[in-house]
Amino acid sequence: MKLYCLSGHPTLPCNVLKFKSTTIMLDCGLDTTSVLNFLPLPLVHSPRLSKLPGWISKDGTINLEKELKECAGRVFVDSQPEFCLPEKELLDLSTIDVILISNYHCMMALPYITEHTGFTGTVYATEPTLQIGRLLMEELVNFMERVPKAQSATSWKNKDMQRLLPGPLKDAVDVWTWKRCYGIQEVNSALSRVQLVGYSQKVELFGAVQVSPLSSGYSLGSSNWIIQSHHEKVAYVSGSSLLTTHPQPMDQSSLKNSDVLILTGLTQMPTANPDGMLGEFCSNLAMTIRAGGNVLVPCYSSGVIYDLLECLYQFIDSANLGTTPFYFISPVANSSLEFSQIFAEWLCHNKQTKVYLPEPPFPHAELIQTNKLKHYPSIHGDFSSDFRQPCVVFTGHPSLRFGDVVHFMELWGKSGLNTIIFTEPDFSYLDALAPYQPLAMKCVYCPIDTRLNFHQVAKLLKEVQPLHVVCPEQYTQPPMTQSHRSDLMLELQPPPMPYRRCSVLNLPFRRRYERVYILPELAHSLVPTEVKPGVSIATVSAVLHSKDNKHTLQSVPKPPPVPPTKKRKRVMEEPPVAPKPLLSGAVPLEAFLATLQMHGITEVKVEETADGHILHLQAEDTLIQLEEDGTHIVCDNNEPLRTTLRDLVLRFLQKL
Amino acid sequence: MDGDCVSLLPRVCDVLAAPRSSLPDDTSLEKLLDWFTTFSKSGVSLLEVNPCLQGFISTVVSSRAAESSIISFALKLTGLVAAAEDGFRALQANSVLDLAFNPQHWREDGLWDDPCVRIGWIQGFSTMLQHRQAFSFFVQADSIKPLLQLQTDTSLFVASAASQMLAHVLMLSHPLLSGFNGKEVDDKSSSSSITGLMRPAVIEADQDVAAVVTEILEYLKTRMLPKESSQLHQSQQILKLLALILSQAGPSLRDKLLLFLREPLEELVALNYSQLTRPLMDVILAAYSSIRGDEKVPDPILCHLLSVMLNQRKPFDRIHAAAAFLCSGHDNQIHMAQSACILLLPMEIITGLTLLEGNSTVKEHRLLMMEQLQSKISCISMICISLKHIPKITLMAPDCRPCPPAVVVAAVLALLRLCRGLSPPSLNGCVAVFRNVTGSGKVQKCALEALSALSSSSEVSVMLVEVFTLLIEYLNHPDSDPTMLQKSYQALVQWIGVCSNLSSITNQLKEDLTQVVRKRACDMRWEVRDSTVEFLGHLAGLPACRTEVGGACNAAEYLLGGCCVTTPLLVEALHDPESYVRASAVSALAQTMTHSWQEGVVPTKEQAEIVTQLLEMLSQDTEGFARRAVLQYFITWFSSHPSCTSSPLLMQSVRSVLLQGSADLDWEVKVHTLDLAELLMDQAFLGQHGYTKGLESHPAQPHPYAATAKQAYTLTQRSDLLCALDGLVKQGLLSVLLSGLFDCDRPVGLKACRLLIRLKHVLLLKTQDESDAVKTDPRLYCELLSQGWAQEIRNVLGTEDRSNETDPHTVTVNVCNLVTSLDLEERLDVLTRSSDHFYNSPRSLLQDILTASAAHAQQDSQLKEEVIVDCY
Repeated sequence: MKLYCLSGHPTLPCNVLKFKSTTIMLDCGLDTTSVLNFLPLPLVHSPRLSKLPGWISKDGTINLEKELKECAGRVFVDSQPEFCLPEKELLDLSTIDVILISNYHCMMALPYITEHTGFTGTVYATEPTLQIGRLLMEELVNFMERVPKAQSATSWKNKDMQRLLPGPLKDAVDVWTWKRCYGIQEVNSALSRVQLVGYSQKVELFGAVQVSPLSSGYSLGSSNWIIQSHHEKVAYVSGSSLLTTHPQPMDQSSLKNSDVLILTGLTQMPTANPDGMLGEFCSNLAMTIRAGGNVLVPCYSSGVIYDLLECLYQFIDSANLGTTPFYFISPVANSSLEFSQIFAEWLCHNKQTKVYLPEPPFPHAELIQTNKLKHYPSIHGDFSSDFRQPCVVFTGHPSLRFGDVVHFMELWGKSGLNTIIFTEPDFSYLDALAPYQPLAMKCVYCPIDTRLNFHQVAKLLKEVQPLHVVCPEQYTQPPMTQSHRSDLMLELQPPPMPYRRCSVLNLPFRRRYERVYILPELAHSLVPTEVKPGVSIATVSAVLHSKDNKHTLQSVPKPPPVPPTKKRKRVMEEPPVAPKPLLSGAVPLEAFLATLQMHGITEVKVEETADGHILHLQAEDTLIQLEEDGTHIVCDNNEPLRTTLRDLVLRFLQKL
Repeated sequence: MDGDCVSLLPRVCDVLAAPRSSLPDDTSLEKLLDWFTTFSKSGVSLLEVNPCLQGFISTVVSSRAAESSIISFALKLTGLVAAAEDGFRALQANSVLDLAFNPQHWREDGLWDDPCVRIGWIQGFSTMLQHRQAFSFFVQADSIKPLLQLQTDTSLFVASAASQMLAHVLMLSHPLLSGFNGKEVDDKSSSSSITGLMRPAVIEADQDVAAVVTEILEYLKTRMLPKESSQLHQSQQILKLLALILSQAGPSLRDKLLLFLREPLEELVALNYSQLTRPLMDVILAAYSSIRGDEKVPDPILCHLLSVMLNQRKPFDRIHAAAAFLCSGHDNQIHMAQSACILLLPMEIITGLTLLEGNSTVKEHRLLMMEQLQSKISCISMICISLKHIPKITLMAPDCRPCPPAVVVAAVLALLRLCRGLSPPSLNGCVAVFRNVTGSGKVQKCALEALSALSSSSEVSVMLVEVFTLLIEYLNHPDSDPTMLQKSYQALVQWIGVCSNLSSITNQLKEDLTQVVRKRACDMRWEVRDSTVEFLGHLAGLPACRTEVGGACNAAEYLLGGCCVTTPLLVEALHDPESYVRASAVSALAQTMTHSWQEGVVPTKEQAEIVTQLLEMLSQDTEGFARRAVLQYFITWFSSHPSCTSSPLLMQSVRSVLLQGSADLDWEVKVHTLDLAELLMDQAFLGQHGYTKGLESHPAQPHPYAATAKQAYTLTQRSDLLCALDGLVKQGLLSVLLSGLFDCDRPVGLKACRLLIRLKHVLLLKTQDESDAVKTDPRLYCELLSQGWAQEIRNVLGTEDRSNETDPHTVTVNVCNLVTSLDLEERLDVLTRSSDHFYNSPRSLLQDILTASAAHAQQDSQLKEEVIVDCY
């Protein structure tokens, strides 16, 4: 069993598991942090961004002024943003049989894997994962396509050139693998390969293994996966949460007794408690509005935003924010808000029961009805006529490099009354803000990451007790900035197996058993002998038939009447040798000694050993070793005696 | 004892003595006993007044069918009766005492197994031991043996009562022996009334008494040491008894006891049983507590025991022992310093700061302590104990404390940072221990409390900036729970309060504080908003502090930029959905305004708007808390303003407040309204003859023969009084008082009645000798509505007063007539009694017992009838 690690990002994993002749890809997350190296794509012409000076090295030897621009002391690539893809060279992607998706954030690289690689397999995901994943992909495509940029910067990627660039561009890794965003056709094609599954549904893969998604409690339709054969079980835990938020709670018990547990997607903010962050979010929001400023919340169009809106629904009245407009701007805003209301079966119990009342499970429906929350596909159109300040705007993309958020940054960045509140943990807020500096706007960082923290995961692993744990190497040491926090790492016994991008791990367990079926007629022909109460054995002569990873024992076909040939005679001359009978049972010492005595062997010295006894027949100078799993007669040059002794031993044993 | 009760008691005794008697509730017997005890304490002979009691006692004691609760009651009553010598003799004559206090008698029927009977026996006996005869009875009956057995009884109540009695017996016996031996008698014991009573009788040697003392001491000595760990409970009980005795004993008995019990005590201390740490420390501290000021050198045995407790035990026990000793506040410098070191050791290990430089004994304990700190539970427990006592250490004499207070403050700050994971442990600190405290809410709360308390230590003001910085960090931290935030605010107020010079607080810190307060005022959790608002109020209430320019300034003004920050936040909080926050905001606003009120500053437009909002709250707020706070706001304003009449806004508001407050549904709001009315009265009548201010609600009646200085009154004063009254009537005061008088809530009625009596006194004294012209002065008349309580007043007054010609719904009354006709004194008498005074009377109790019994009997007969019908 092998694990190929194609991504080094612990929360955007992409691993391939080779298990019992199947090749299973576990998630295909897209690392979008690379876009932080690019200039923002403004929706409306930005004189500031268009006038940025090009970059020329200090000594003037390198001139990349068309590709690189200087802004607030940093250098950015002036081109369509590019993403860091999972490793494609480690193994042939066309050999992948299936892809298991755990949540909609971990499938954004799917078109890069399924398209133009020869991939012919199936992708398994739950319905909300597919639908919301589709929304996120469409949004991403829309963000990119509505601000087309003809220029594609490649010169800076030249190794010799790159190492002369200022940081962080200089330190960017695998820049040649960075790719521009896919198109809508690729999205559609990739998603057409998805086959929907429900929680605990068992899907057979080639008869060899069975895969099954379990609720992971992180987002709508998010799953952990169990991959098991008859005798082996691998658990894949990715992006799980034990907090009481909108999704169904995490199914922990099904993860028990795994041979290997692959652990990814822990919280990126182990020191930020989501409840505390939510409180910070609300109080900073209220404080800004009270002071007459606007609040900008760069966020994804699905996920934590549902919880934020729910929290605000309760907070609005207590903070006297009843008249403040809340805007949600995204090409998929409408679909996202509506989808969340229809996936009732994937929601937590409280929300499920609301559906039967019937009431919308999420209170944002009421916010929309009462006009407190308004949603728009973009800043153009209706929004510009409805727009009223002070207000709260939720919009993407959280990287601040593309999407409507860029416009609001340009609009509000210069006033100290306004506040930007970061709630998504995926991007460093300082890096995200870098191209907008100097900034008068107040910045608040409240990353809300509901995924498991180290304390919770330690408890979980204690409960489910896997034999081995495999995890990204980042989890096996404290964070670099807090090297003293030994509580922010996994401490297990045996220690977890760490992986990094491009690692290939031999998973530390051997397959010891395989299930074999026996056909009824063959079974009928067997003659079992009881060796001890409840245990019977029989010798089987059969033909092993293996097909689709299923093994069956069939009766030995009777030899067809062989046409008389010359060979026949030879066959007749050598009759088939009957298999020797199998022996079972134990030799009782006292009775055996008595039998020896009856046969005239009287001088026997008995020595007790760890495994049984050694009988020394002194007169005959012979040893008989009686052990649990074997009997040896050591008798030199006295074949008659050996035969006699053997026969005496055989008297006490059963023959099969 | 009134006649009714005396006549009822025999029937009650019959009921109680009857088998299967039924009681109205479990507390009836206790109440009855309390009633008897009150009588007996007043010196009345119970048997003389109630001869039936003797019959009751002897019936119950000799009955085989009485219930254990009745037996217990009878035993306690026996003790009470026999506590008087005549009672004792009477009961002794009937041999009731022999029977009642013979445990064997109760054992025969298996009643002794009931803890209720055992406790009745102990308490009865204990109550009886008030005189020589009773004590002789105790000695002769050899009751010491069963009593000693009960000291380790399975029932904690029985064991505790037995310990109390044993201590009592020893206290009685010891002076008898000392007197016999001709030695010094303990001051404490000789001062007790019991021994005082007994002393004259002790002339002859009493071997039996000596035997009792010996038996108790031997018992203590032989049973103190547990032979196996299962006997630890017994040792604990014995140590508790010893502590009890030592706390009551004087130096002589203490020294004898310590000498006699030295061996087992030393052995016990050395045995290192954690469970015995606390009882052992109780013993040591009880012995210490009996050390008088003139005894300069503590007992060497005691010193030795304490040294062992502080040095040789496990770290966890040592911390407990040190904490107990430090708490006791004894003047033993060596052990105090040692205790301080022990308590500071965990802090030193965790923070890595040097708190105990050069202390050799501590070095020995360090390894053991570090080991113990590895365990999370004991680590947190020890640190919390340490933190709780740290402030006391900083208050110790400089030559006694191990390090300067500022270093201790630094250690607490370092610990708080560690808890937040804010800074890495220094190299000296133990990393494994660091994990135990990271994120521990309990440690953080204790540390914040300690930090608060440390503000009052000397030489700590140098730490102000660091404390400020950390507390702001805490207030800002998203993970701080409401309690932590509240404690942080409290600590901040404490530190600002004691540091008269805030000039070291930088502008950045002030800005940070302002930002964090603004943020927390918008917090999701109402508790946090409430704490924030309270903080603003407390800050405003602090005395003026010195600033960098050398001037004096209000702390809120200096730190938060004054009203431009505070007031808008508080005004915003007036609309908070949570009533507690609204109430706190109103109080905080009052504290913020007090300063300007005291100076008589003319209210700004903003303040006038606040008043409008508050009046709105008073009439519309659905929660009582907020409305009460509004009343308090006006009371504070009224009482802090130098001249209320000079503030038209205040006087206008008061009229509305009185009107709305008296019509409120909440009784506390109404009482507060009356408080405001009282202030109005004080202001109007102060200086007038016959008027008393404040709590003197019953002005002393002028002595019949005292010379009244009538001549001192001038016409101007009389006119002033009538003007003042007129002013009060116009403010609506009279309506408030009268409506309060007829209010269904007793506290409201009581307060109104007292105020009306004061009004009556001042008016009557003025008008009694005046001409009719004065009595008919129009200013003495007021109009009353003809509905509600006013109708009642009209009924009281009859038709004497005039109906208003213009408005048929109102009636005009003479205030003097009104206050005299209401019979206020009688009303006050009724109102002063608690509403359940009748139901709690002894007579009611006795009747209840009889009624319950009758009901029970009826039920029984019905049952019997049913059975008969069935059988038939």
